[in-house]
Amino acid sequence: MRKAFSAALAAAAGKDPRVLLLTGDHGYALFDEVRRLRPDQYINAGVAEQNMVGVAAGLAKAGYRPVVYGLSAFVPVRVLEQIKIDVCYESLPVVFVGDGAGVVYSTLGASHQSTEDVAALRSLPGLSILSPADAAEMAAAMDLALAADGPVYLRMGKSDLGAVHTTTPTLQWGRMVPVQPGGGPLVWLATGSMVPTALTAAIEWADSAVWSVPCIKPLDAGHVAAVCGRHEAVVVLEEHSVYGGLGSAVAECTAARHPTWVCRIGVRDRFSRCCGSYEYLMHEHRLDVESVQAQVRDFVAALPARRSARPLAA
Amino acid sequence: MARAGSAVHIACAFSLIEILAVLYRSHLKIGEAPDDAHGHHLVLSKGHGVMAQYACLREMGWLTDHDMDHYFGDGTLLKGLSDAHVPGVEVSSGSLGHGLSVGVGLALGEKRKGTGRRVFAVVGDGEANEGPIWEALLFASHFQLSNLTVILDVNGFQAMGPTREIMDLGCITGKLTAFGLETREVDGHDEAVLDRTLTELTNLPGDRPRGLVAHTIKGKGVSFMEGHNRWHYTRLTDETFHAAVAELN
Repeated sequence: MRKAFSAALAAAAGKDPRVLLLTGDHGYALFDEVRRLRPDQYINAGVAEQNMVGVAAGLAKAGYRPVVYGLSAFVPVRVLEQIKIDVCYESLPVVFVGDGAGVVYSTLGASHQSTEDVAALRSLPGLSILSPADAAEMAAAMDLALAADGPVYLRMGKSDLGAVHTTTPTLQWGRMVPVQPGGGPLVWLATGSMVPTALTAAIEWADSAVWSVPCIKPLDAGHVAAVCGRHEAVVVLEEHSVYGGLGSAVAECTAARHPTWVCRIGVRDRFSRCCGSYEYLMHEHRLDVESVQAQVRDFVAALPARRSARPLAA
Repeated sequence: MARAGSAVHIACAFSLIEILAVLYRSHLKIGEAPDDAHGHHLVLSKGHGVMAQYACLREMGWLTDHDMDHYFGDGTLLKGLSDAHVPGVEVSSGSLGHGLSVGVGLALGEKRKGTGRRVFAVVGDGEANEGPIWEALLFASHFQLSNLTVILDVNGFQAMGPTREIMDLGCITGKLTAFGLETREVDGHDEAVLDRTLTELTNLPGDRPRGLVAHTIKGKGVSFMEGHNRWHYTRLTDETFHAAVAELN
């Protein structure tokens, strides 16, 4: 996925001289390609993220298309006010890329883990949020982001968890992307790194539908409600806090259009306690396949008597 | 407009009015409209002094008497802090330490495009408490933004008292020089000196960004405001308003 980002960035910079990459002294080999092809369109702004975002706003005002790269623990959270005032208030076309989203920097601790970035950004007026699940979604998400006429946050996981799509998906603002068709009682909506987990975990519930949600904001409430309305209950998965992320967004959509049962699976109200492998931390946060299945079992068992007779329990 | 009924940041507008007047009169070279694509950029990073900019925009004919008379009225656009939605106001400030970085980005953009457009960024000495100001200066120097002039309005006060008591800047000219700026120091109320020094800085050869340390008096021109920091953010009564106007006239 990061390779897809790197390639998309280099291609965009080659096509459009207005595209400028700004990094806060992060990224390492990720930018080898763009530095080789378009060294003049690469700006290392130093370890000074607040200034970097202000500079990006100024460059956008001067007619450029800045792409601001940082770890998602720093861009956006450290620079939330700069994004709000310098960029969003003027609807400037700046793309923010938050790399290493979630707990993938598993050995580095709380400073480098980010499970609050989407929640922090969702309430900023006019800012769109993309969260691709694989390389194909990333390429499509970069196209969407660079063509947008306002600010975009693109959330990127660090681990490459493989392809979730067999064909190249079409991304549209507000729309979810089908990954696995199904007419069963459960529909699984997942974003980013959790799409592969959803696919594997869903096997336990026959005929589950699985959707990837690469566009968290805007989210087409009618579309989400319509998809959820075809099933008995909804499971939402994200490597992010259960507060304010995709689970909240889906619950908002369904509450307004088609009230249903929503199981929000994500990081509970806590930081990582230990360090260790990425897999270890995902287990600590109950985001590995087995833990997800256990949570869904509990959710299903607690559902009130249903309107249809279709079996939910395995 | 300072009598609009609500509290206003009046004293810090008086410290920079001559700076802005000289910029608008002789240095910004903005033509018919505030969005003139050929003029230079004015970035008011210390957004608290925005009433002084409104006065300039009125002088330029881009704001009307109606705008001034209905300051803070329901449904009006002129706010108590600088706001980029107002034509002629480049950045939204008030949360301090933002504007200079945006100005640095503008300067970098204009330099890359080779337009010859300059950026004049006005920063407060209280604002210089903010970390991003120093990040921006490092960046401006590293990227050789010689089309950037940073004007520091050193009125010696910030919200709660004298700057030297709250967060002493020490030798600010030395600091700007140390950060790589070609820096001059002037009396910020002497329009002739301001004009001359800004011209000199603009015409200097070399790649260094330009710095102008303007020593000013907060509340300048109104004896009961000068040096009295309760005028940082307060409300004018009919009595104080007329007393201030009488002195200014």
